[in-house]
Amino acid sequence: MRAFDAMNPAAVTAVLMLTACITIFCLEPVLLGISLLFAIAYFIMRNGRRHAGFHMAALGMPLLFALLNPLWNQHGTTVLFVINQRAYTAEALFYGGVTGLRLAAVLYWFRNFSDLMNSEKLFYLFRGFSPKLALIFTMAVRNLSVFRAQMQKIRTAQKAVGLYRSGHLIDDLRGGLREFSILLTWALENGIITANSMEARGYGSGKRSSFTYFRWHTGDAVLLLIALLLAAVVIAAALQNVLTWQFYPQRIPPAVTLPYLGALAAYTGLAALPVIYEGKEALTWHCLRQSI
Amino acid sequence: MLVIRSEKLRRGLRFALPFAIMPALVLLLPRGMQAKYYAPVTFLMTGFALLLFLAGFERRELGTRRMILVSVMTALSVLGRMLPVIKPITALTVLSAMYLGPEAGFLTGALSAVLSNFIMGQGPWTPFQMLAWGLIGLFAGMLAKPLRRSRVLLYGYGLLSGAAYSMIMDIWTTVWTYGEFTFRQYGAAVVSSMPYPVVYAASNVIFLMLLAKPFGDKLARIGKKYGL
Repeated sequence: MRAFDAMNPAAVTAVLMLTACITIFCLEPVLLGISLLFAIAYFIMRNGRRHAGFHMAALGMPLLFALLNPLWNQHGTTVLFVINQRAYTAEALFYGGVTGLRLAAVLYWFRNFSDLMNSEKLFYLFRGFSPKLALIFTMAVRNLSVFRAQMQKIRTAQKAVGLYRSGHLIDDLRGGLREFSILLTWALENGIITANSMEARGYGSGKRSSFTYFRWHTGDAVLLLIALLLAAVVIAAALQNVLTWQFYPQRIPPAVTLPYLGALAAYTGLAALPVIYEGKEALTWHCLRQSI
Repeated sequence: MLVIRSEKLRRGLRFALPFAIMPALVLLLPRGMQAKYYAPVTFLMTGFALLLFLAGFERRELGTRRMILVSVMTALSVLGRMLPVIKPITALTVLSAMYLGPEAGFLTGALSAVLSNFIMGQGPWTPFQMLAWGLIGLFAGMLAKPLRRSRVLLYGYGLLSGAAYSMIMDIWTTVWTYGEFTFRQYGAAVVSSMPYPVVYAASNVIFLMLLAKPFGDKLARIGKKYGL
């Protein structure tokens, strides 16, 4: 058993995406609470006491949503008080809190995901998909800043030859267009040079190979399988409306039955996977240190 | 897309999936689905269709030079999108499609949408914008010959694509605000977005008027000089 971030990126992505997607689609306060709890636990395990600002912003969400939702949501029967002849209902307050809880949990999961993933891992995931598209995209991003710098040079040169802007609308427009046009000529020729030198170095002459240091181990397959099984249980329960709350006009929680508890237990298992893997690793290290 | 061996089937699927099967599913799904899932599902469907179509590109049909030029045109149209209200993104997409081909047009449009949204604000509407601009580029590339020959036709295409862009985005608006899609609600969304199609169409025509000659000449020259 390795630490969670040493697992195969595909398995890690699957676990985190399944957890986050169930959080997005299921408006079940208990499930969301479990989700948020384990997301925070894993975040703290990895980051310690840092990022207090992020904690404040994320945990403020449920409160903010709960207080704001009743202001524009008039559903619900339990009126708490009346502002400006608009009812402020307990149901809307509760619903706002639940949606805020969902947002906070999703924020934490995505933060965990982006902490775990580096560009090497992302490339490993998308390598089979389209390396060409990835290349075009990265080059376009690079071109953005290159072109901005070039535009500045062109502008300076134009000014130096006396074609400076006069503050006259038509003149400015024509000047801007001329600069853009000069930039285009330069950009196209520059692009061709880039393409030529890429081909000269053998780009596209054979099957594109790439080096990655990620492999599938039995442990990765086991992790993936466990995650898929647990998620399947939760999704099956959700599709049977076992986890469905009624928020308006009155708050009616789902019946506490065996399937309901089973689904919650399964989700707890799924959300706890990162913490379990990381915790096991930390414990092993601790024991090893003790024995020295 | 990577496993289908038959060239013809693959080509057919590549066009049919995003542009026929996906819209059909979007229109038919709400009958049997809970309303609250509709917006996320539509979003996922669109994203999936786009990915499928983009993954279908092979390096051979685009070539290294054209590939690099697509990244150049994408960066240029993103720079152009910083302007207020009027955006040259459609005009640049159409122009690069005319001179670099339909695939390049689709890529320029779709990638400009994602990339500029990193600056303008990314959201659930991104796949729809990608699809809308990608399609504008794709069709412009297919109609490249007549568009290059007749200036009037080019302006007409600019007008039409401005309206089409707005109407594709209205599908998104309908789904997002009502949680389902019916033609009555869609009609309401189209009417309520009224000033925008006109602004888009007008700005497209203006930019095509301004850019068609200088940019077209330059792209044509590059194509001729380096044999694209």
